[in-house]
Amino acid sequence: MPIRFKINDVAVEAKPGEGLLDVARRNGFSIPSLCHLESVPAIGACRICLVEVRRGRRSKLTTSCNYEVLDGIEVSTDSPEIRRHRAMNLELLLARAPSSEAIRKLAAQYGVSQPRFGPIKYNPLPNCILCELCVRACTELGHHALTTVGRGDRKRIGLPFNKPADTCVGCGACASVCPTHCIPMTDTLTKRAIWGQKHDFVRCSECGAPVITKKHRDHAIATKGLPEDYYDVCQSCKQIATSQRFAAIVW
Amino acid sequence: MSANPASKSQPVSALPPLSGKPMRQVGSTGPLVLLPNRCTGCRTCELACAFAHSEDGNLGLSRIRIHPAGPDRYVQVTCLQCVNAACVQVCPTQALVRNADTGAICHDENRCVGCGLCETACPFGHMHFAVEMRKPVKCDLCGGRPACAMFCPHEALEWR
Ligand code: SF4
Ligand code: SF4
Ligand code: FES
Repeated sequence: MPIRFKINDVAVEAKPGEGLLDVARRNGFSIPSLCHLESVPAIGACRICLVEVRRGRRSKLTTSCNYEVLDGIEVSTDSPEIRRHRAMNLELLLARAPSSEAIRKLAAQYGVSQPRFGPIKYNPLPNCILCELCVRACTELGHHALTTVGRGDRKRIGLPFNKPADTCVGCGACASVCPTHCIPMTDTLTKRAIWGQKHDFVRCSECGAPVITKKHRDHAIATKGLPEDYYDVCQSCKQIATSQRFAAIVW
Repeated sequence: MSANPASKSQPVSALPPLSGKPMRQVGSTGPLVLLPNRCTGCRTCELACAFAHSEDGNLGLSRIRIHPAGPDRYVQVTCLQCVNAACVQVCPTQALVRNADTGAICHDENRCVGCGLCETACPFGHMHFAVEMRKPVKCDLCGGRPACAMFCPHEALEWR
């Protein structure tokens, strides 16, 4: 049985257990968000995806990413009240991440340019807002390399106990999903540096370009049952080979 | 990021018009047919694709590439939308999904975690991982109205 409810007075349908933000996006409603992807568990950390949910006579503001849809609810995705709360939350996030482009831009849309708070004293990963999207993505990928370290105002993101971790394969997904792009990752021709560790690249057997880290390759080959030489050639060289195969067919 | 409304399933008639004047109208079914023997290497398709997928026509984001194949010979290469696609099979988050209307395998930004496995998986080298965006760049057949085919002045790309 599908769940039926309304978003901004438009009737929508969803499967039981779906998150409100996912359903809203699928139906073309835009709700700002920083810490949610459909493929990882929602935890409601950034609190920017606030919406108003009415159920009978009761109404409340709630984060939409981790709100499970219910029959008959009436959702509104924008109102002066919602904007006021989003603006407040953005002001707090801006204090933590003053030089993040993404946060500055979003905050500006809500009329916030300079936070009244901060600067915060302890943030070893500048601009990190502790939304844990990186931790959740890494866990979802099966690497389980990241976690939160410390408590209270000393809380931060890192490898467990802040020690080198064998489980990190250097895939870079954490750096990709981070909403403030605050995770430093640097690639050279031979190595990728991330989380204080260096990972050797597999180099293309044709041109020498880096293809994928050796550990990431080994993980992919083991979990997907691929042949050992699957990652020997880089994307550009494979594309050139394809064009030559096409040419041989045509001429 | 993407200026192309295509990734989501919607009728072709509902798509906003492309800026610029296409060379010709294309139908709405496909498939996209590459005809290298007609290609002159003018790279109009690369530019059309780049503008269909970015505000500023960033050629690095073009999903189609022209490769020289000898004197006055050129081959267009772009995603083949494989039946058993390697990229779909390796993606750990089901972020590459076939659009039932167009047959294109589309990239879902709301699911992708940017691990890069899809780029390295494609045996033809058609998937490209944009390093600055940390997201894969993938042909989505423009939601059923491929800009490359619309703008090719030599009918070397056809959307049949
Ligand atoms: S680079 Fe390491 S820490 Fe980051 S997502 Fe990949 S395995 Fe996890
Ligand atoms: S980069 Fe994104 S689309 Fe590609 S395999 Fe990883 S999660 Fe899937
Ligand atoms: S996206 Fe819902 S709280 Fe961050």
